[in-house]
Amino acid sequence: MDALVAKYSRPAAEESDPFENELESHDLMNPADHLSLKFAMPPVAQPSSWLRAATDDRSNPECPIKIAHGTTTLAFRFQGGIIVATDSRATAGDWIASQTVKKVIEINSVLLGTMAGGAADCQYWLAWLGMQCRLHELRHKRRISVAAASKILANLVYSYKGMGLSMGTMCAGVTAEEGPALYYVDSDGTRLAGNLFCVGSGQTFAYGVLDAEYKYELSNEAALELGRRSILAAAHRDAYSGGYINLYHIEEKGWTRHGFSDTNPIFWKTKLEKGEFSNVTSELE
Amino acid sequence: MSAMFSQNPVMNGPNYSFSDAPRTNNGEFREHRFNPYSDNGGSTLAIAGADFCIMAGDTRHTSGYSINSRMAPKVFRIGGSNSDQSDATIALSVCGFAADGNALRDQLDTVCKIYRYRHGKPMSVHACAKRLSTILYNKRFFPYYTHAMLGGIDEEGKGAVYSYDPVGSYEREQCRAGGAAASLIMPFLDSNVNFKNQYVPGSGVGHELKERERHPLSRPVVETIVKDAFDGAVERHIEVGDNLQMMVITKDGIEEIMLPLKKD
Amino acid sequence: MEVLLGISGKDFVLIAASKAAMRGATILKASDDKTRELNKNTLMAYSGEAGDTVQFAEYIQRNAQLYSMRNETELSPPALANFVRGELASSLRSRKPYQVNLLLGGVDKDTGKPSLFWLDYLAALAEVPYAAHGYAQYYCLSILDKHHQRDISLERGIELLNLCADELKRRLPIDFKGLTVKAITADGVKDIPYDDDKIVKSA
Repeated sequence: MDALVAKYSRPAAEESDPFENELESHDLMNPADHLSLKFAMPPVAQPSSWLRAATDDRSNPECPIKIAHGTTTLAFRFQGGIIVATDSRATAGDWIASQTVKKVIEINSVLLGTMAGGAADCQYWLAWLGMQCRLHELRHKRRISVAAASKILANLVYSYKGMGLSMGTMCAGVTAEEGPALYYVDSDGTRLAGNLFCVGSGQTFAYGVLDAEYKYELSNEAALELGRRSILAAAHRDAYSGGYINLYHIEEKGWTRHGFSDTNPIFWKTKLEKGEFSNVTSELE
Repeated sequence: MSAMFSQNPVMNGPNYSFSDAPRTNNGEFREHRFNPYSDNGGSTLAIAGADFCIMAGDTRHTSGYSINSRMAPKVFRIGGSNSDQSDATIALSVCGFAADGNALRDQLDTVCKIYRYRHGKPMSVHACAKRLSTILYNKRFFPYYTHAMLGGIDEEGKGAVYSYDPVGSYEREQCRAGGAAASLIMPFLDSNVNFKNQYVPGSGVGHELKERERHPLSRPVVETIVKDAFDGAVERHIEVGDNLQMMVITKDGIEEIMLPLKKD
Repeated sequence: MEVLLGISGKDFVLIAASKAAMRGATILKASDDKTRELNKNTLMAYSGEAGDTVQFAEYIQRNAQLYSMRNETELSPPALANFVRGELASSLRSRKPYQVNLLLGGVDKDTGKPSLFWLDYLAALAEVPYAAHGYAQYYCLSILDKHHQRDISLERGIELLNLCADELKRRLPIDFKGLTVKAITADGVKDIPYDDDKIVKSA
């Protein structure tokens, strides 16, 4: 009988309620513990479907937690390196949560990542990727390749597949062995190398402008302008994109920033000086 | 335990098994709907100045149409050396689900205190902001239902405001409104703090007009803006009211101001 | 996955429609013409619910012809557009509305003014310098935002159309079997040759 009781009851120390706060499960005295990838889980059989009901505003518009979505990001390879450009709008449902989001994430001085989908997912995992890249440098005494970095990220998100991560990101960098390298990685686990990618709700509009004039032989100035103009096109046509245009150019020496500039004056300058956007009237009739 | 005393002769002993637990038509375990969240209303507001930062929130605590409390603050001092937090230098505001807000405050405060004991100095807002982000993200799959904001003075002595989404994406901003009346207050801040859509009269014609220049606001101006913002929110939102709690963070510490709001 | 595109310029309107007639996962015909001439210098392109499209277009076509016989005058493109809108709007309030998206382009016989109208199945009408329906909207409007000007020539219009068609070939996952391209000028409607077999490589 005693054996039975022992078998079917837990010692008092383990009788703790799963609802109690995470201070117990997380070792606060260990400074690196918060990077340990031990995530709190809801005490239900299907955490991912519970999470979807609570956070996915597309399947459940009444969901209590709205996670920021909606974006246009692009990156393309060309003779002079890589251009990375994004808008800066974050939306939660139809509410514009922010117009000043930094969607280009500086992983380190030569690697850039872009952010589309869940803002927190991208911010957290690209910061985590930065840590992995630094560890690689310390362990191997040389810089990580873009291929390897993007694969670390792809393997990580793949291990969380079906759990509700939402990210569409591009890893871009120029290294001595690879030259300009660009990878698309998303939360489904897709990882693709390519010359040109646009990601987000405004991707089609950006593709339209970009594809029409893209050539690998583009000059640096022309490439920057094409990146800027493609984001402007998406900001104009896609309601979930807008705010500021964030432009970066990556070369082997590292990346350089080419402004975080308001779309509105750029739009009017483009319209009035070049006669584009002929569907918009500039005077009230 | 009661199952142990079952006298089922066939099973010869404990016979309750989880495989007998009720299932749905899809063959999944039937669960009572797990809804650990509620919305306790209220609104928060944070504005950074040149050498100070104001974190504000109303003190009403609601569920549905009921008012549970008229004095439930949602702005907290974080990381002081003792329990009265008299020497804290950082303030956290949380709205949404109050219980999650309290849990978050406790966790961040503990982290900041451990840092202070280990390093013999308070955590910088910059570091604290990053840490808060990871705390929120650690519950990515079971989120804190909160809109958090962090305020303090940065290493250059400038006012700093950081705002967060429920799962930890964050951004440093000049100002931010959160909670129930965010959509009422934020447009007011765009106009009065960031001078959005304001141009200098006579500086040009049509699209040549120059934008009105932004400059850091003085403390009395910010305090007035905060009070006006909340008066407006109280007027048009049922979940906002009772008292306005303001924490003014300067290099000399945190000063707390309570002002009355309408109680209806 | 039907494609409708319209571009207007100095003295013309170009209208293009995909040639594929699709039912479910099958392409029934690869040389479908989704346009009808309403009169000598007005053309209407349609997409939408199978059956509804041709029925509605031909109904409009016959009524436009009836009008010109009775009154011995042709309706101008804006007049036709408003007539079509009216018919679509009253159909929308009937038991079984026509589910048809339309582009209507024409050149006014007297003034020579070109005009292009965009109508959706809910009978919203807009006069626009360039237009698209379906997935083409997502890819082509940004291209036209950049490259279109109000006073372009027909040659430039065709260049722009090719720019758009190339992008659709590059990015649309389904083959739409090329385009029927027609130009409406003061002289009437004429077919524009379009190379359906051109292969567009992605970057």
